[in-house]
Amino acid sequence: MDILINWLANTPDFAVPYALAALGLILTERAGVLSLGAEGLMLVGALTGIGAQLAFGQPGVSLVLAMGAASLVSVLFAAMVILLRVNQVIAGLALVFFCQGFTSLLGTLFEWTNQATGGIGAASLWPLSALPGVGRLFEQNAMVWLTVPIFAAVAWFLAHTTTGLRWRAVGENPQAADAAGIGVTAYRFAAVLAGAALVGLAGAYLSVVSTKLWIAGMTGGRGWIAIGLVIFARWSPWKALAGALLFGCIEALIPQLAAAGIPLPQYFVLMTPYAVTLGVMIWVAMAKRGGQGEPGALGEPYVREERR
Amino acid sequence: MADLTQPAPLVAPSVARPRRHQPWVSRRYTLEIRQQLAWPWQALVLALSIAAGLAISAAILVAAGVPADELANEFIVQTFLDGQNFRAVLFQAAPMILVGLAGAMAFRARFWNLGLEGQMIWGAIGATAISFFGVGPEGLRLPLMFASALLCGLLWAWGPVLLKLRLGVNEIISTLMLNYLAGNFLLHLVYGPWKDPKDAFPYSPQFLAAERLPELFGGVGSAIVLAGIVAVLAWWLVDVSRAGLYLRFVNANPRMADAAGVPVTRMIVGSVLVSGAMAGLAGFVIASGQEGRLTQAFYQGYGFSGILIAFLARNNPLAATVVALLVAALFVTGRSLQVFYQVPFSMVQLIQAVIVIAVASSDFFIRHRLRRVAAA
Repeated sequence: MDILINWLANTPDFAVPYALAALGLILTERAGVLSLGAEGLMLVGALTGIGAQLAFGQPGVSLVLAMGAASLVSVLFAAMVILLRVNQVIAGLALVFFCQGFTSLLGTLFEWTNQATGGIGAASLWPLSALPGVGRLFEQNAMVWLTVPIFAAVAWFLAHTTTGLRWRAVGENPQAADAAGIGVTAYRFAAVLAGAALVGLAGAYLSVVSTKLWIAGMTGGRGWIAIGLVIFARWSPWKALAGALLFGCIEALIPQLAAAGIPLPQYFVLMTPYAVTLGVMIWVAMAKRGGQGEPGALGEPYVREERR
Repeated sequence: MADLTQPAPLVAPSVARPRRHQPWVSRRYTLEIRQQLAWPWQALVLALSIAAGLAISAAILVAAGVPADELANEFIVQTFLDGQNFRAVLFQAAPMILVGLAGAMAFRARFWNLGLEGQMIWGAIGATAISFFGVGPEGLRLPLMFASALLCGLLWAWGPVLLKLRLGVNEIISTLMLNYLAGNFLLHLVYGPWKDPKDAFPYSPQFLAAERLPELFGGVGSAIVLAGIVAVLAWWLVDVSRAGLYLRFVNANPRMADAAGVPVTRMIVGSVLVSGAMAGLAGFVIASGQEGRLTQAFYQGYGFSGILIAFLARNNPLAATVVALLVAALFVTGRSLQVFYQVPFSMVQLIQAVIVIAVASSDFFIRHRLRRVAAA
């Protein structure tokens, strides 16, 4: 019973980075820009977060600065794919490797590697956290609680506002959107920047809130997993949150099993998030639901001069 | 094409007014798609963008604390003009050429094979297995290791291409996930059952002398000869054979190719398998030609380098060989910068990314032109 409660209580901490990164990707991809740079932008968020944390020691400030830094870096990507019409796959990959190299270089230069920082405390949800037994479930940090309103806000924005409607129109059919007087370029720029901010926040959560450390390449493929998660969720925010919780559950289970004294082959255990992602991708494909929900113009540059 | 959102002008603008009387601000710029830019101009744009990428990289390195004059010395003088370092570049070039060719083969079939590292890992594991279990007589070890590496790399690429063609699973994600699976399996082997009992380091027992690729040309190694042969074969496959012609149809437009009677599925599967096999060979070359054993992180950085080489070479095998030599030089320089100036090796990754960004962005100027038109 204790193991069950502990497991469920630890799940959100593992789920939040996936959830926020996937939400950022949905925001970008709903406007038609295929965003493969998540892994790199998470690293930028993680590094900036830890740098700000070491300088100011205010988790809130660190998270906001991390969001800004990821947005700033994504301007480079936006300029490449929106203005210069570079292939979005090549641009996304180049962005990832640029960020991997850059964050590793800066982390070494500033000697931020492995420096412990003060973290963010638990924000208990009184009176639920006072419940006997299950109260532990409601002792989460503030970012976990904040994730839910962030999701609600983005989901509401995309589904129920005029701007959200235009945002999706740009991703669904940029030609028609342009003809209706919607600025495709401006919306796509906004989508890349806003999405990057959330992906950066996901990265900063890892370094500032979860591990309280910077290590080069610390995201360990979570950005790619988030991309898989978006396909699994069919570009719908709430399904992405459910998927992130599923991934969080699986990741949180591993230390619990180890603590319970069940011997596990270490490196096969480390494979599970990637194997599960692959499995989920196959399952989505077998269920023949992959295509539904995908923005119609995802990955296609919009070129007015080539309009037919 | 005409801009349909603007109302049609009543008079044709450029004819109606002489341009030189227009003040600068009232001129408008329009973007046009070019049909074709003459190749000397294309080469010039490419050279300029690579130079811009290198200049930005140099600026970053100087900002990171490498003295500027040392940098030029290190990269040009030490790497290309010093005999021993040039041999090091050739030594490094063999796996680089193989991954570059592997990337080019898959991209020719419009398949984003980002699993080059996983296929390399399996190639190295396949080769090491022959050594570890002592399969066959010693004289046959090298050919067996070669075949085993090729087969293992090929099989690791088989899964994602089947998943893509049968179920439509996105190959970008599937190949990447398979990299992480292969990487962890490699760690399992070198920390577990295949660990060298002699010391505490995570690597397999050393290969026998008969299992090492022989040294030729004063330390360069026969791997570069192998890479050269594979490059020529790839060139033949792509530029001469019928499959290469088919592949060009598939690359241009899969649906049209299918209508024209090209066996599209077979062509895609074939080129991805060849790609995986080449990456497997790169793993074999590192294990048998460089390290002499299976090590824990030998593959790092090669996956992206392969993609970069294929991209810069426009998937052309011979161009890929030349680009691979340059990337190998970058690797060798990066290692010495790491030793002498404590610049992390990921700097090499950063420089490659900067060059890709510069070249990819410069394509815009090859494909478009800005034209000044007089405003009405």
